[in-house]
This record gives sequence, structure tokens and C-alpha cells, in this order.
Amino acid sequence: MTPGSTSAACAALLRRDLTLAWRRRGDIAMPVLYALIVATLFPFALGPEPALLARIAGGVVFVTVLLAVLLSLDNLFRADIEDGSMEQLMLAPQPLALLVGMKILAHWITSSLPLIVVAPLLAGMLKLPAPATPVLVFALVLATPLLSLLGAVLVALTAGSRRSGMLLALMLLPLCVPVVIFAAGAVAAAQEGLPWIAPIAWLGAGLAMAVVLAPLACAAALRIAMDT
Amino acid sequence: MANWVPLWLHRLGSPPVFYRFAGAVRPWALGLAIVLAGVALYGGLFVAPADYQQGDAYRIIFLHVPSAWMSLFIYGAMAVAAFVGLVWRIKIAEVVAMESAPVGAAFTFITLVTGSLWGKPMWGTWWTWDARLTSELVLLFIYLGVIGLYHSFEDRRQGARAASFLVLVGAVNVPIVHFSVNWWNTLHQGSTVRLLGPSHIETSMLWPLLTMMAATKLYYVASLFARVRADLIASEGGKGWVRELLAGRDGDAA
Repeated sequence: MTPGSTSAACAALLRRDLTLAWRRRGDIAMPVLYALIVATLFPFALGPEPALLARIAGGVVFVTVLLAVLLSLDNLFRADIEDGSMEQLMLAPQPLALLVGMKILAHWITSSLPLIVVAPLLAGMLKLPAPATPVLVFALVLATPLLSLLGAVLVALTAGSRRSGMLLALMLLPLCVPVVIFAAGAVAAAQEGLPWIAPIAWLGAGLAMAVVLAPLACAAALRIAMDT
Repeated sequence: MANWVPLWLHRLGSPPVFYRFAGAVRPWALGLAIVLAGVALYGGLFVAPADYQQGDAYRIIFLHVPSAWMSLFIYGAMAVAAFVGLVWRIKIAEVVAMESAPVGAAFTFITLVTGSLWGKPMWGTWWTWDARLTSELVLLFIYLGVIGLYHSFEDRRQGARAASFLVLVGAVNVPIVHFSVNWWNTLHQGSTVRLLGPSHIETSMLWPLLTMMAATKLYYVASLFARVRADLIASEGGKGWVRELLAGRDGDAA
């Protein structure tokens, strides 16, 4: 039997993951609901003054999205490891890094894209000024794949361990500090009418680097974690 | 010619040889560390003059600054050991990397605590979201993540390999965090940093600082070797050399 071409394998894996996610549509809504709930809690905790909310809106949206992504990351590889498809992916003739990259892409489409869609709503609830909203969405488009890629490396590392939820948060925090700084910095600059392209460019540079390196690191981590 | 160096290093990779070597070096390192720390503390607390601006409060740098150096130095040592362990699969290197993490975390914690003790009278606050403080805090989280990941695996070696990988990811990340945080917030007082430069410090203050640095390095070696010995005994429990060792010890006691 000759192995299929790499692009066909990638397309097949992407289609499989998206189909699996679509069959369980309820799960896609969970991160969105979670983000809505967290964002709703802030006005209750801090008081409803529009000036205060507008000042913190950008940061709150980023932290909320980050937490929602973190929650959804936990089952990025879990089902595949439990039913043994991960071993099949590792044995496949195609490079594991590419296949894992496809899984991360599918995960980003199913968990982060809905969050980006509701982000303007969250920002509106928190009274973010309208001119800053496009910058927020733009920053999220660059920041969420970066978070997914970084998180995937860590999820892969914890794949063979017993407990992973809190550990994942502890390990992801240092990695996501620069992402949060640049993403929230862009929105803050836009809010004050300053040029916001520099932090966005940093995010883009980080994303370009992560797209190249993170799947490789993720594949190496999976091989370490699954090596029993 | 100088063939014995690689040969000796190669032999040191064997757990029983390393166990004996560490056992021989540890008391000397610990003793020297205690003596040097005593000398440095005497020099720093009694000999060195009080600062013209900060009075006696500055004396905390004799703990704070060597700890801060060690927090980074140990991370470097840990990253090198993790790399060696991952690439050449040398068991001792993995154990050294994993047992460095708690010592490094302790030094990072001491740095943060002494810094905030100094910050209260000098800056008027325990904590500020300053670039240097924040990166040190992030470093502490990386250390804790490494320790947590190592202990979350049933299999020690698998945990060590996964955590070593995290160490290398963190090694790439630490400079990124440092620069991004710097860019985000640069309120740090330059003078406190430049105090370390040899040209900006009085000799009577410099020598206790350097002595303390040597003491902390030696303490790291002593602590690391003790931890590695304990880890080796635990993970090699079923092997012949550990049994012989314990049997021999019982024989001596009896």
C-alpha cells in the first residue's frame, strides 16, 4: 500500500477533526458561554461606571479569551490519545509536525474563532469605545492562534501525566505574558488615539515564529510524552 | 594526552560513580559555603560602611543580589543539563536538571522576598509591576511549572524528559518575557541596577558581595549533589549497586 500524499493526509485530518467537532456542536458553544459569563461578572464586581469599564475593557476581553482558550486546550489531544488515534498519527508516514499543526488549526477554528466573533459583543458590554473595536478584533486574530500554538506544546507535554488542568495554567502563564502585553497594549494605544501598529507587528512576528516552530516542538513533546 | 578528561566525564555519567563523587565533594562544598557566607555576612553587615542615602537598609543587597544572580545562573545550568539529557539521553543530566529546579525556585523566592522587604522602606511599597520584578516572578512560575510537570508523571524518567523539554521552552521564553515586559513598563530605578557595576560600587561593599556570590554557588553545588544522591537512590532502588551500598552500610553499623 502506498502512502497518500502529505497534503491529502492533512486535508483528511482537518476534515475529520472539523466533522468530529461539528457532531458535538454543543461543545463549541461552551467557551463562548464561559467568556460571556466571565465578562458579565466584571461590571458586578467593579461597579457599572462606564468610564472605569471602558478603561479596563480591552484587558478584560483578552484575559477572558485567554482563560476560555486555556479551558478548551485541555481536550485538544485527549480524545485522540484515549482512543489510540494519536499512535496512528505518530506511525503515519507523513511528518507528525504537519499533522499536529492541522489538529491545532482545527482546534483554533472550533474554539477561538467563535470567541473572536463574540469579542465585539463583549467589548460593547464593557463600553469599549467603538473606534478601538476593530483593533481589538485584529489583535485577537493574531493573538488567539499564537495562544493555541503555545498551549498545544504544553498540552502535548502533559499528555502522559495524571493531572493536567491546573498544571497547564501554571505552565502557560509565563508563555502568554508577552502575548497579553502586546495585544492589550495595541488596544490601549488605539483607545488613546496613539499609533497601535507596533505591538500588532510584534504579535505578527511572534505568530510567524510560532507557526514555524510550535508544531515541531509540539510533535517532539508528544513523542516524549507518549513514549512509554 | 589530555585523554583522561573526556574519559572521566564519561565515567561520571554512571550513577554509582556520580553518587560517590557527589558524596565526596558535597561536605567540602557545604563547609566552604558556610565559611564564605559567614565571612561575607561579617564583611557586609559590620565592615562595609552605611550607604549615604539608604543608611543600613541597603545591606540586604548582600543577600538579594547574589540570590538574583543564582536564580538566573541555575536556570542556565538547568537548561544545559536538560539539553544534554534530552539529546544524549544521559540519565545523570536529567536528574541534575530536575533537582536544580527546586534550588533555583528557592533562590528566586529569596530574591523576591528580600526585594520586597527592601522595597517597603525604599520605594514605599512591597510590590510594584516593574519590568525586573515581573520577569523574576515569571521565572518563579517557570520553575514551579517544571517542578509540577516532573512530579505529575508516574514514570520518573518520562517526567524528567517532559520537564526538560519545558526547561528548554522556558529558556527561549525568558528573554522574550524580559524584553516585552521591559517595553511594557520601564519604571525601574536605574541606579539600583547600576550599583552592581564594578565602577559604581565601593570596594568595601564589593568584596562581601563577591564572597557571597561564591558562597551561594558552592551552596548550590552542595544542595544539588545531596538532592541528586537522594534521587539516584530512589530511582535506582532496584539496582545492584544501591543494594550493595545499603548492605555495606548495614554491615558497618552492625
